[in-house]
Amino acid sequence: MAYEYAITICDGTGCIQKGVRNLRQALDDELAKHQLTDKVKINLSGCLGMCDKGPVIVVNPGYTIYGNLVKDDITEIVTEHLIKGNPIARLAIQEDFMYNRFFRVFGDAKFFGKQMRIALRNCGIIDPDSIDDYLALRGYEALAKVLTDMTPADVVEEVKKSGLRGRGGAGFPTGLKWDFTAKQQANEKFVICNADEGDPGAFMDRSAIEGDPHTVLEGMIIGGYAIGAKKGMIYIRAEYPLAIKRLEKAIKQARANGLLGNNILETDFNFDIEIRLGAGAFVCGEETALIRSIEGRRGMPRPRPPYPSVSGLFGKPTLINNVETWANIPVVIMDGAEWFKTIGTEKSKGTKVFALAGKVVNTGLIEVPMGTTLRQIVYDIGGGIPNGKQFKAVQTGGPSGGCLPADYLDTPVDYESLAKAGSIMGSGGMIVIDEDSCMVDIAKFFLEFTQNESCGKCTPCREGTRRMFEILTRITEGKGKAGDIENLQRLGNMIIKSSLCGLGQSAPNPVLSTIKNFREEYEEHIHNKKCRAGVCANLISYTITDKCIGCGACKRVCPTNAITGSAKNKHTINQDKCVKCGMCFETCKFDAITKL
Amino acid sequence: MAKALDVIKKKRAEAVGKIISKGYLSTKRVYVGMATCEIAAGSEEVMEVFRDAVKQKGLTDVYLSQKGCAGRCNLEPTVEVIEQGKNPVRYGQVDKQKAAEIIERHIKNGEVIEEWVID
Ligand SMILES: Cc1cc2nc3c(=O)[nH]c(=O)nc-3n(C[C@H](O)[C@H](O)[C@H](O)COP(=O)(O)O)c2cc1C
Repeated sequence: MAYEYAITICDGTGCIQKGVRNLRQALDDELAKHQLTDKVKINLSGCLGMCDKGPVIVVNPGYTIYGNLVKDDITEIVTEHLIKGNPIARLAIQEDFMYNRFFRVFGDAKFFGKQMRIALRNCGIIDPDSIDDYLALRGYEALAKVLTDMTPADVVEEVKKSGLRGRGGAGFPTGLKWDFTAKQQANEKFVICNADEGDPGAFMDRSAIEGDPHTVLEGMIIGGYAIGAKKGMIYIRAEYPLAIKRLEKAIKQARANGLLGNNILETDFNFDIEIRLGAGAFVCGEETALIRSIEGRRGMPRPRPPYPSVSGLFGKPTLINNVETWANIPVVIMDGAEWFKTIGTEKSKGTKVFALAGKVVNTGLIEVPMGTTLRQIVYDIGGGIPNGKQFKAVQTGGPSGGCLPADYLDTPVDYESLAKAGSIMGSGGMIVIDEDSCMVDIAKFFLEFTQNESCGKCTPCREGTRRMFEILTRITEGKGKAGDIENLQRLGNMIIKSSLCGLGQSAPNPVLSTIKNFREEYEEHIHNKKCRAGVCANLISYTITDKCIGCGACKRVCPTNAITGSAKNKHTINQDKCVKCGMCFETCKFDAITKL
Repeated sequence: MAKALDVIKKKRAEAVGKIISKGYLSTKRVYVGMATCEIAAGSEEVMEVFRDAVKQKGLTDVYLSQKGCAGRCNLEPTVEVIEQGKNPVRYGQVDKQKAAEIIERHIKNGEVIEEWVID
């Protein structure tokens, strides 16, 4: 932190087209000329959402945003602002977007600078237990704007125009869903926030709620106004005690401030929110199962149509959206659909939150504009693969998604591109896999999860996923047979076509996508009884080579006494007794044990 | 009837007033991560050290707040020290000892402890 200034250069498509990269060169030259190179830290950011004023750079501290820049302006910024400390009013643009606040605190760190925070705009910068903090950052202003200036139909229209799509997995256009629900005639309607978050390894929604619970409430109240509902429910798993506590507190504060309850903000609009706890079943994240669970019945899906927008909770029209979808709503209203539309790709607008995990240097929760490539996420934000290992695949969409190999690293993250590549966007799980992981084992991991979580109502999902899991188990145990791959594919396709709900319809994806992209690993397991990653215990064996000096260290750690040999002579492993625990391999100081 | 927008503006002004009365304009603002992930990594102890310094040990001119998770999983618990007119400083993998040192060296003496900074 020896630097005095941090300059963020917007390296989004819009600014690149407007020549920002020439400015970068000019800036480097100018800094060098004044011997400032060490004192100024330069970051390249992703699109900052100010394309019409590009090229854009941001100077910190002070968060001065300069826009519409030409090369000569750079000289002036360096001499006037950086050297003399006088920000240049003529070049500064006043852009107060909702997301800007986050970058005042985090924008100059490489990990954060490449991101764009819309849903998570307040996470990590405000006290989530304080409604004052939220209000101070223009919280509930979107609600006030809606109640003052917009009819319910205007709100639906704005959300439609924004191009926002559901962040819970399926990517259904949010505005359209709102429209359907708004047009239903009924004496009662409901709004639901889906905070079930059942994907293993996913924690986007939990973090969003724990970091900024009020934004979810605000989104839901706006949704209630738009469709004509008076009651909202948040369905959240009981395994999230802190998130529940923060929500309870937020609801209480909102009620005390006239933001929930009767006559919201002194208007005649009434709306209130309650929390419903789920017991943590994956299938209860599926909307129809979730609704049954709230009704007090067993959480099992039912065929659609009718969709919840027509017949949902207690048979009433119900608007159900994911936590992250709700968190986007205040920004869509405040910064406007016209602006929101400028972020992202043609059919996927805005940003997406991902839980970046696995074999990557910087694991974390990230939010990036749609259209960011997998490579940018894994390498620029994630910092690449640790310990000099080789990248093997990236898994998106959790148990409903797929694994994409290195050839697909330049795939932009949006709903269509990921689906075309053979995976899905999903709700935001992203696991980076390196050469030390076995793809068959990974497929088995996800299938074990889905077959456990299958509710059992429909046969293809209940029986089919079980059979697939059995075949995969056999393969990883070295008992695979010719025809197993074809059987997995046949079963998988059948389950996809004939299952009742999204759980079964997507459960085979991890298997099918790994067969498609890593078929050779399946074949090696089946035909050569070999696991190249050295993960499947039955398919590896440890042997002692001539490098052995007979120190006896391996013999002492072996829990099954499988190693024999006298001091100072080469030892051997009795393969019948060996349980493949790997203790000898880790203990040997002379590299004399091989794992094959 | 007052317009909802006017009502919210009034509420915002009140909220800002309350935050300022809690010392927001202090020279240094300190934020400690307190989401499930941060707490699992040990942030409650860290918060305790800062709270203790402010409440018991007479550390003044500091605004202490909790915050949600900013997303740096592998570097939690995280703590930010923000000073007007300076680049914000973000510390990672803070434990009790580091927290105590941050108070002594950074908050009291203005020294940024480079090796713990998240960059
Ligand atoms: C097995 C299964 C699990 C699901 N789990 C979740 C979940 O945890 N959270 C969620 O928001 N949506 C989940 N969904 C999707 C919901 O059915 C529904 O599409 C979503 O809540 C709609 O909100 P959105 O349009 O804002 O995404 C799941 C779907 C299936 C089939």
